[in-house]
Amino acid sequence: MSDIAHPIEHHRDDEGTRLGFWLFLYTELFLFAAFFLVYAVYRSSHLEDFKLAAESLNTTIGTVNTIILLTSSLTMVLSLDALKKGAVKLAKTLLLVTFALGMAFLVIKGFEWSAKFEHHLFLQTAKGIAAGHGSPLLSPGEEMLSVGQVLFFGLYFIMTGTHALHIIIGAIWMLIVFFWISKGSISQDNHGVLERCGLYWHLVDVIWIFLFPLYYLVA
Amino acid sequence: MKTHEQSLSPRIPILVFGALIFLTMATVLLAGLDVGNTGALLIAMAVASVKAVLVLYFFMHLNHEPLIFKLFLGVAFFTLLAIFVLTFSDYSFRVIS
Repeated sequence: MSDIAHPIEHHRDDEGTRLGFWLFLYTELFLFAAFFLVYAVYRSSHLEDFKLAAESLNTTIGTVNTIILLTSSLTMVLSLDALKKGAVKLAKTLLLVTFALGMAFLVIKGFEWSAKFEHHLFLQTAKGIAAGHGSPLLSPGEEMLSVGQVLFFGLYFIMTGTHALHIIIGAIWMLIVFFWISKGSISQDNHGVLERCGLYWHLVDVIWIFLFPLYYLVA
Repeated sequence: MKTHEQSLSPRIPILVFGALIFLTMATVLLAGLDVGNTGALLIAMAVASVKAVLVLYFFMHLNHEPLIFKLFLGVAFFTLLAIFVLTFSDYSFRVIS
């Protein structure tokens, strides 16, 4: 034991932390890559069913949600830049705007999902997966889903659901960061947490950039 | 000369955002073209890839990161590519009844 008193130094390695966070982002990427792989295989084997099923998705809603998410990425970038410049109030406002845009995305997604629920697509998909094919609907007169359509909607719910979960996590993270900025523990010189929150948010955006054409356009 | 000094002007983010919105509109319009299934898929994925690169490079500031960050991205990308190619080298030659 040394008897010389050392002042406690908090060593901070911003670059190393960022690199570590990028590694985490790649694990997220591979999580979604598994879904994309399943989508790719089933699309190639059930092309006609995928096209038929995708017709029930609304391209306008998908486009609007894409623009909302891209805008939220911009406000996130500007929020971090504002904090780096020391414009704390602007940074907080832009962070709240980003949060609000994330919520708007979820609300629109929620309406889209509930429309699918009303048409029993979720129920049929769940039952259909269990039975290996489309099962009869509760209300007569509607058509049964084919195997390919059941696969399409199953993937649609799982992939957009997992994505929405990430939006929720990102949004909660933003609120926590907002609170910390208010408290002063995140500041111009110590903006790493906001930076990582932003990286996470942009990754969620990148995943949507691929989800959007695969579900709403290539149909 | 500023090499590692990051510009905090909102000009570049806003320009990139404009490009992203333009590409989104373009991909929606291009989806209406009759170029067959594979053609449509290729166009849509090409546009999506450009958009993803823009977000990675400018919004996620890969342009200001050291080489090691780009190497990591390269490793991740080639791993993904290998997984997709290997999977399809199997599935493309299967006879699905």
